[in-house]
Amino acid sequence: MIKVTIDGRDVELEHPVTVLEAARKAGIEIPTLCYFEGLSPFGGCRLCLVEVEKLPKLQTSCTLMTADGMVVRTETEQIRAARRSMLEFLLINHPLDCPYCDKAGECELQDLVARYGPEAGRFAEGKRRHPESFDDPIIVRNMERCVLCTRCIRMCSELQASYSISVTGRGSHSFVEPFSGGRYDCEYCGNCLTVCPVGAIMSRLHRHSYRPWFVEKETETVCGFCGVGCSMVLQMRENSIIRAIPRRGVGFNEGLLCARGRFGYEYVEGGEELTTPLMRVDGELRQVSWEEALSFTARRLGEIRDEFGGGAVGAVASGRCTNEDNYMLQKLMRFVIGSNNIDSAARNYYAPAQIYLERIFGQGITANLIPGIANSDGVFVAGGDPTAINPILGLKIRAVWRSGGRVVVLGVPGGLKRFVPYELIPVPYSEEIVLSAIVGRLLERKPPGGANAALEAKLRDLRIPSDDELGSTGVSPEDVARVSEDLSSMSTPVVVIGPDMVQRRRASKSLFLLGAIAYLTNARIFLLADRPNYQGLLDMGCLPELLPGGRPVELEMFRHKAEEALGMKVPEQRGLNLFEMIDGAESGRLKALYVMGENPVFNLPDGVRVEKALGSLDLLVVQDVHLTETARLADVVLPATAWPEKEGTYTNLERRLQRVRKARRGKMASYGREDWRILADIAGRLGMTKTYQRVEDVWEEVMHVSALHTGLGYEEMDGGRALWPYYGEPLRGMEGDFTVEGLDGLPEVPAPERPYLMIERPLYHSGTFSRRSKALLAIQPGPYLKMNPELARRHGLTGGDKARISNGRGVLELEVRLDDDMPDNQVHVANTFEGFAAMRLAGFGTDPVTGALYMDDNTVRVEKVLR
Amino acid sequence: MTLKDVIRKVFLVEIVKGMALTFSRLFTRPVTRRYPKEKRPAEPGFRGLHALVRNPATGDAKCVGCGLCAAVCPSRCINVYTSEGPEHQKVVDGYEIEVLRCVFCALCVEACPYGAIALTPHYEYADYSREALFMTKERLLDNWDRYMGEEGLRYFDSFWNPKEAHFKPPRGQAMFKGRIIGGFSG
Repeated sequence: MIKVTIDGRDVELEHPVTVLEAARKAGIEIPTLCYFEGLSPFGGCRLCLVEVEKLPKLQTSCTLMTADGMVVRTETEQIRAARRSMLEFLLINHPLDCPYCDKAGECELQDLVARYGPEAGRFAEGKRRHPESFDDPIIVRNMERCVLCTRCIRMCSELQASYSISVTGRGSHSFVEPFSGGRYDCEYCGNCLTVCPVGAIMSRLHRHSYRPWFVEKETETVCGFCGVGCSMVLQMRENSIIRAIPRRGVGFNEGLLCARGRFGYEYVEGGEELTTPLMRVDGELRQVSWEEALSFTARRLGEIRDEFGGGAVGAVASGRCTNEDNYMLQKLMRFVIGSNNIDSAARNYYAPAQIYLERIFGQGITANLIPGIANSDGVFVAGGDPTAINPILGLKIRAVWRSGGRVVVLGVPGGLKRFVPYELIPVPYSEEIVLSAIVGRLLERKPPGGANAALEAKLRDLRIPSDDELGSTGVSPEDVARVSEDLSSMSTPVVVIGPDMVQRRRASKSLFLLGAIAYLTNARIFLLADRPNYQGLLDMGCLPELLPGGRPVELEMFRHKAEEALGMKVPEQRGLNLFEMIDGAESGRLKALYVMGENPVFNLPDGVRVEKALGSLDLLVVQDVHLTETARLADVVLPATAWPEKEGTYTNLERRLQRVRKARRGKMASYGREDWRILADIAGRLGMTKTYQRVEDVWEEVMHVSALHTGLGYEEMDGGRALWPYYGEPLRGMEGDFTVEGLDGLPEVPAPERPYLMIERPLYHSGTFSRRSKALLAIQPGPYLKMNPELARRHGLTGGDKARISNGRGVLELEVRLDDDMPDNQVHVANTFEGFAAMRLAGFGTDPVTGALYMDDNTVRVEKVLR
Repeated sequence: MTLKDVIRKVFLVEIVKGMALTFSRLFTRPVTRRYPKEKRPAEPGFRGLHALVRNPATGDAKCVGCGLCAAVCPSRCINVYTSEGPEHQKVVDGYEIEVLRCVFCALCVEACPYGAIALTPHYEYADYSREALFMTKERLLDNWDRYMGEEGLRYFDSFWNPKEAHFKPPRGQAMFKGRIIGGFSG
């Protein structure tokens, strides 16, 4: 126990902390400028000076550790004079352009000068000059205002681990600049904007258009871009979002955001939102009233149900909609129309992977806490770049590296490139062999403990590839030995599974092997999710085989419970999954499809076929914020509200339930209605008797129906207590019942002439919303074809050239971008820009065991386009 | 009651005194005005209708859109709308004052670092509609031309003591974009 006296107050401390922290703990405010909670102390601004008895000079409290018996004074005349002098020095070079500066009002220097003075400067000579830099599309630098506190640099290197900016120059010519010169060559996380105490680094979004005191309302909500679910505060002025900022102490992201979260909100007021329902009249979409659109939809759905049975109707749920929205869609389908045909784009990889892993280990196996990753001593990443798909989760992996842990990545490391000691990039479609080899080595080092008999039984049947057989994978036996050595040396490892591991033939085997690695090393598993509510829609029962709470619909016991809870019937057979629904639409078995917040034409492979299939439906209803590619084919388009315009809950990839709150309302919000309201209205017209006034009513029903969510109200979520396991009962007794395809064999690794087309998941764009955000478009304006310079040379291409990629399914013309980190014989295209849907060119199949999508036959011919 | 008081009461001394004053006023000029025909000039510093000071050099408002007036306004009747101009400068797109909500405290005038907002001596602006008393930037500038003008600048300088001088940097100092003369003298 350490006892110190600060300003006459006795403070008792368990552990030695800095004097500053001890004072803050005791409620004594010491002014600081370069100190920022969470960053390493710097001691450069000299404002936190304190007087310590028996020490001759003033001491910086942010770097001075407390010692027993210390007597500290924080406000004496000597200290005030020192602070005043420090501020006067800072103001020598600080332009007093406060009336123009957007930071005024929340500027820490301004506040400090107002408190300590000086009233006037004595420095008559000129101030340094440095032109304001507008070279960057998003971030503006005014280095005349910089006070060199280096918070941005410490943020960039310590928390973001991007190492993109540094102090350049000397003396009064020291400025913070990106290494790349004018434009930032960084991840655009914008966390430097958060920490800058003055107006030196500012966002160009809404530049010069607000003052901090113009903020009329702040709404604490959850980001709507990826499955991490960072908390953020939306600041509003007159119903328009001024900015999205993180706040320390709110949410688990601890004041960090990524590019999408911080800058990507603009799509909600881009002017392209649907404002009225549309209906196809004489082959054209016309504006109609809500009443007309809803009654038509309900009538046609009713007719199709009565004529062909409920099985002729299907629905696609959305990972961008809230739990309440998805629950209501599920209720409309299962209980009102009587069809289990409900699925979502989570079918692409997330849902099958999650269900399969739960079959091996039990429900909730991936419900591990993201902040906990940073406490781990090693991470194994396979099948995707977490720093792009789930950036804040990626930061935690970098934090592992910072604290001395090992990061091992199977595949292209992407944003983790600087953090891996060696690269492990297998030839496409040979990952399974490498994983088998790793498991084989691990089994020698860490024999299984017998906790999971089913898994161990399967492990005994596993064919371990010999060193020769590894030859075709491009990964050497030494590398495999190194990986297994690293993995077995980790005491609290984490296994991160990305989409690319699931979207392969025999996904069950890859998942089983990754599960086995996690099992053998006693690791926590994380499954990357690129939409905010993939986990939520699974838990809400938006799957052909599962009821709310993840209960199998085919088991009578669970079906009866749900039927009893709602007083309505559910069909006994499992329904069609997303791909079967497309097949059904093609063959005429499916007559009507209700698509909520999803864009299957764009987001599913072989778009030409999907487009044709959807076109042949009797009724296609699309409920979305914008007129997407799919909505253009629809018979009825119902405008929905976007993420900041509705209330509800999201379940993130760690199964944390968080509230989404309404920020925009009134005349300037889009004219859409909340998804669940539209659905409840249609369900009411089709015979549902229950009515809902508020979104809370829907959630109350969820708590009643889903055994998982019992007793988990909004208050618990507000208190941050909505963590797995919830108060309800998880599904038990299903684990261990799984099959693995091809355990005793090894696949042939194809060696095609033409390069593979792979889907890139970039940091700045994630689909049909981000491409409507001006800021994200400014960072990355268009699609590109990423390839290795060597591959480009073989095709006579250089960076910036236009290349044509084609196969039997389509043609795309894209700009070439060279990337040294790309493996050979692969080209990457992101599936985000309109008219450049890379998924259209991808061939696919569905995995017989997991039902996941797998890429197949996706080689393309690459040619140079001659101008 | 003393004899003195009795005499006063009997001879109506007070009334005679009063009537003498009344009588004397018969020969002086009246102090009341026949208001609509005769107008009373405002005293210096009178807080009448609002105006945005027009900068004679540019012809536009002096206002830079710092929003301090809106921040200090106790009745929250000022709205400032700014945006980024083509040369990255701050442009004041809109400046609105809802006169009916104003309490004429003149804190906005005091807060303004550039002496860009004024309360003119004009006080005859009663009207029948709310819209007529909703001032936009154009109307406020128009008010300046009409009720203050060149005269106003002098009055402003002598009366309000603007804070602009405090913000004026020495020559060659990095300050507002586009107005810098000379470079770093190092």
